[in-house]
Amino acid sequence: MANSVCVTGMGCLCAAGDTLDEAVTSMMAGERHAGDPSLFKSSQPQLFPVFAVRSLVPKAAEDVFLRTSQLALNAAKQAVEQSQWDLTELRKLKVGVCIGTTVGCTMDVESFYGDYRNGQDPEMLAIDCFVESNPATVISRHFGLNGPCQTIVNACSSGTDAIGMGAMWIENGLCDVVLAGGADELCRTTYNGFASLQINAAVLSRPFSADRCGLNLGEGAAVLILESETVRQQRQHVVAQGYVLGYGSGTDGWHLTAPHPEGRGLKQALQEALDRSGVEPDQLAFVNTHGTGTKDNDRVESLVLAELLPSTPFHSTKGYTGHALGAAGALEAAFCLAFLRQRQIPASAGFTGQDPEFSVTPVVENSAVVGDIALSESLAFGGNNAVLILARGEMA
Amino acid sequence: MTLLKQSMAIQGIGCVGGFGSGNDQFVSALKAGHTSATTVELNHPAGQQTLPALLANTDRLTDFVSRRSLRRIDHFSRMALLGGYLAIEDAGLAVEDCGRIGIIVASGYGATNTTFNFLGSIIDDGDSCASPTSFSNSVHNVAAAYLSMQLQALGPNLTISQFDLSINAALHNAACWLAQRRVDTVLVGGVDEHSSLLNYCYQRYFANSDAVEQIDPFDFARQSAVVGEGAAFLVLSRHADKAKYGFIAGLDAGDFSQRSTVEDSDLLLIGADGHQTCGAMYEQLPTAQSLLNCTPCYGSLPVGQAFDLAAAGLMLREQSCYGVARQQPVGCSAQSSFDSIASLKCTANDQFSLIRLSRRGGDDA
Repeated sequence: MANSVCVTGMGCLCAAGDTLDEAVTSMMAGERHAGDPSLFKSSQPQLFPVFAVRSLVPKAAEDVFLRTSQLALNAAKQAVEQSQWDLTELRKLKVGVCIGTTVGCTMDVESFYGDYRNGQDPEMLAIDCFVESNPATVISRHFGLNGPCQTIVNACSSGTDAIGMGAMWIENGLCDVVLAGGADELCRTTYNGFASLQINAAVLSRPFSADRCGLNLGEGAAVLILESETVRQQRQHVVAQGYVLGYGSGTDGWHLTAPHPEGRGLKQALQEALDRSGVEPDQLAFVNTHGTGTKDNDRVESLVLAELLPSTPFHSTKGYTGHALGAAGALEAAFCLAFLRQRQIPASAGFTGQDPEFSVTPVVENSAVVGDIALSESLAFGGNNAVLILARGEMA
Repeated sequence: MTLLKQSMAIQGIGCVGGFGSGNDQFVSALKAGHTSATTVELNHPAGQQTLPALLANTDRLTDFVSRRSLRRIDHFSRMALLGGYLAIEDAGLAVEDCGRIGIIVASGYGATNTTFNFLGSIIDDGDSCASPTSFSNSVHNVAAAYLSMQLQALGPNLTISQFDLSINAALHNAACWLAQRRVDTVLVGGVDEHSSLLNYCYQRYFANSDAVEQIDPFDFARQSAVVGEGAAFLVLSRHADKAKYGFIAGLDAGDFSQRSTVEDSDLLLIGADGHQTCGAMYEQLPTAQSLLNCTPCYGSLPVGQAFDLAAAGLMLREQSCYGVARQQPVGCSAQSSFDSIASLKCTANDQFSLIRLSRRGGDDA
């Protein structure tokens, strides 16, 4: 890497907790806070459990934003606080914002559209809200930053890609500091969309199990403060929470919603991340998989892991958070750094038994891990695959 | 202006919009200074109204993609595919050469019509009858996905949504990919589509505006935006000898009021697209500065700056000024040449994007 990328702050909220520490504690305790959708109504004949953030209370001034941006801003505030940046000093630097999302940039204004179609004259509040809610812009404006600002919409790998691109901005000298992560809210559109594809599970998800039957949607946000090691060394009192060692991506070029059956793009992403970081597979303490619990996703990930990382422990955290779409990769990057810090990963929630087609098995109980480096992978609609390689904080 | 450590060679250009498709038709429109708008009807409680719009036709896409493959691909992705294929062709690349290129698609609104179709399927038939085809085609990265599938481009692939600043953001990432040698070539561009709901929004937001037939780009105080749609793509290379249309040499973006950039390019191509809310920023530009504008040729859309980059590249190559000039540009006389063009886009929320193109790359940029 040209410029080493250090993580000095992490903010996170999801169904497992309103902070990173809360979420990690909850996961280690095996808690799964799912329930029927409460943020919207559904006429589906069968309700699908979701993982909602329990206590998001935005400030009045933030009511004008979509929930996705409220979540993103909450996570960013946590992260900035942990990084101990004085905002006046921070604003003197080139500070970028790179956020991944799906819902946050989609004009899924159902009631507005319904009224319009029915010949009514709907007020423009829904459109105003959409236009004002670009998650990266909301964060950049809130903190008064003036660096590159962009929202990545790569479906379910958006959060991983956002952190990877943020790290690249630092490596290439475009930024001194980047607020990078992902955010997504639970909404009717994605709920009905995943139901239409018949990949919503009617029960709690069972990633990598023989009887897995789909995913549970979730929501949340995570933001990491990435900074060049040069900048961080000028703030000796600030603890490095971790490092981004490498990022890789690959495209399946295969199908809009199904992964390549042999994991072509995922293998490419894995290999690129390993090559760019200079990390050998045997240095990895564990792999945080995408692990949604759908038939196709888990089969492909198992296949690739068996081929490229056959002896590395792996797990899925989707059983604790649901699948938070554009936020998922960012949440899991934060989890990885927290797990590395305490040298332990939680059991892969929902695992009920080995799929005879798979030659690898996730960790089935909370497990100690050996090593300072973890790998987190995300797969997405559109055939996008993205991988981050992360190192624990004390490591130079 | 942040000069790029390594400028990006523009190897190919492809575009489709209300003016037609391909560089020849785009240049024809640029020389004419405008494209005649189509009239679209707006169904509204107040009665039937009409609005002008610059709409794209993608029939030419069958030159590149079979009709069978296009069956389920919507207009939004078809525009991106046509723009992308034309850029690849113009760059002299064969589809077989695309395996390791990167793709970045910028879009302000995404596949809105398909998103609305999905919502319509729920409204009409209930939650449990939502259309899976519409859902999977409404995902924001759908155009980038189809490009990767059709071109078998398996390199890095990103979709960016930053409204009017989407193109600038996409170029930041392309610059990183090329500088780090993740890829040698990036197909980067923008796409946005017209929709009936967008017409409704125009009607609501700009209800008190005078009726217009085309954008009046230098009357900054007047609302004269005409909706456009289309796609414009560039093939960017890290190899200087591939520069058919010069180089992208610098990028800048941020708060307009805090900009430190003093733009010294020979020509300034402004993206004023008839939106009064952005006009105040363009009005602050020095009156002596030579300004060009191409928006009457492609219309008003979030990724309009992609068309301006395409126009700038074509102008640099031909050493001819196109579009509409506020005054006779200094660099446009028959005897003189110009080495650089900057594209400036201002947004309704006081942000700007500045992208500098130069005939020369590397240290000379």
